[in-house]
Amino acid sequence: MKRKLVWTVIERMLLVFLVVYIVFPLLVPIIFSFSIRWTDIFPDGFTTQWYQKIIARPMYYQGLMTSLLVAISAVVVDILICVPAAYSINRLGGRVGSVLREASKTLPLIFPPIIVGIAFLRGFNRPPFVWGGSLFLAVFAHAALGFPFMFRNVLAVFQTIDERTLSEAAASLGANLWQRFRYVLIPNVIPGILSGALLVFAISMGEFQVTIMIAGFGWRTLPLLLYRSLIDDIRVASAISGVLVTTSIIAFLGMTLISMRIGAGKLRGVERE
Amino acid sequence: MRKVSHEHLLLIPLVLFVGLFVFYPLSCVVAQSFVGSRGELTFQHYLNAFTQSRFVTPLKNTLWFAGICTLIGAVGGTFVGLLASRMSPSLRNFLLSLYSIPMTLSSLVVAFSFIVLFGRHGVFNILLSRYLGLPKFNLYSWQGLIVTYSFYNIPLMTLTMAAVFLNLDKSVIEAARNLGAKPWQAWVYIIVPALAPGFLAGVSIVFAGMLAAFGTALALTGMAMNLFPLQIYSLVSEGELNLPQASALAVMLVMVIAFSLFVLNKVERWLKPEAK
Repeated sequence: MKRKLVWTVIERMLLVFLVVYIVFPLLVPIIFSFSIRWTDIFPDGFTTQWYQKIIARPMYYQGLMTSLLVAISAVVVDILICVPAAYSINRLGGRVGSVLREASKTLPLIFPPIIVGIAFLRGFNRPPFVWGGSLFLAVFAHAALGFPFMFRNVLAVFQTIDERTLSEAAASLGANLWQRFRYVLIPNVIPGILSGALLVFAISMGEFQVTIMIAGFGWRTLPLLLYRSLIDDIRVASAISGVLVTTSIIAFLGMTLISMRIGAGKLRGVERE
Repeated sequence: MRKVSHEHLLLIPLVLFVGLFVFYPLSCVVAQSFVGSRGELTFQHYLNAFTQSRFVTPLKNTLWFAGICTLIGAVGGTFVGLLASRMSPSLRNFLLSLYSIPMTLSSLVVAFSFIVLFGRHGVFNILLSRYLGLPKFNLYSWQGLIVTYSFYNIPLMTLTMAAVFLNLDKSVIEAARNLGAKPWQAWVYIIVPALAPGFLAGVSIVFAGMLAAFGTALALTGMAMNLFPLQIYSLVSEGELNLPQASALAVMLVMVIAFSLFVLNKVERWLKPEAK
């Protein structure tokens, strides 16, 4: 009995350690950004002045807006590409779908950000495509990085619904392709689209490796400003990190909620049958 | 069925996107890695990559670095995954959810957190030196980078290994034990072969990622740590512009990653019970 108790205590302590290992580095930027100073073991005081600073200074405010613009645009681009493609690939049958899903896992590993960055530098700085340094290019670079994740999420949801039966039922009622998408298919695959969107958004907001390689002189995203401020202004760095951590956590909570809703939705579907 | 051909038109955005933003720029990189300073066809950049120590050393460093990081990630992740698989489902879901957060976290945010915790005046170092009288931990070193990147690698491996442990068929182990297998025999002949394919799949993801990682390293140590991806980055950033050389190194990096994935995949298939 005693031995068992010791084990339980050890397991509890391990669990606490494992939770702290992840939670602590996530909380550090948030705590730092709301404290007046943190030069000793514990932070001192409470303030929102670092956040006021990033909102008040045009450079940081524009950085925030640029990041949001790029992230939202990358999400939209990925949705416009992946939803029709996933529909079509799902119709091509399980084999094509599973091959492409496998590819969407391997390709980002073979073509990591450093390669995407140099490819964009080489490909779009000379005719026929001279887009070097433009924000437009950043949008598509982020869309390219996020697109395997969006594709996988959307295709996975398409594979769980009985798309053919739904489409045929809608078609027999006279719905054309667009109407079937608008009123039948999209409402059914929206969880996959939403969780893909959150993932792409979070990836884009925090993206640094490709962005620093293709950045132009006219714009900077939050991670680029964070890179600079890590060296000159640790306070501003804490506020930017706080914003980015919060974005990741919110995106992540959203994805968790959606996957819970999908589970609940499936149960409801069973009940109806 | 008559609409099928129309429906394949829906693949056009995907094909255009992949063609223009994946294949086209990548083929530019490959093409330009063979172009010399006067526009002639040359293998000089590849020769340089194999002969000049400023390119050979970082490649060796990166292979070592990725290997060590993967080893730590694999051991840590297997351990946490095993613990997670033994927890109650709600506790396990909580822990695994938590461990999937680092995946989307910006490399710079992680750098920031680790500077605050382990930097020269970091919380952890104050504790070490003031209360324990130990020397400070140097974040801006190889060890520092390994510890920092473990924050990505251990969670990544944990997610894989927790699933692998949960899928482990316990009845087979019990059957083996009932047939008189000793615990070590059950481990060697049943458990390890059952775990190996999933483990190797996880290892491939971590190793491939680490071969190309440079964001956190750049933020923490600048160019001080001589890693291969950092070398590529420095050749395309303003300091030392040499795009054709950078292209050749990039092609080599892709080859190294693809080769590693290929080998790990072969071993994985060879170990899979049904493939035998």
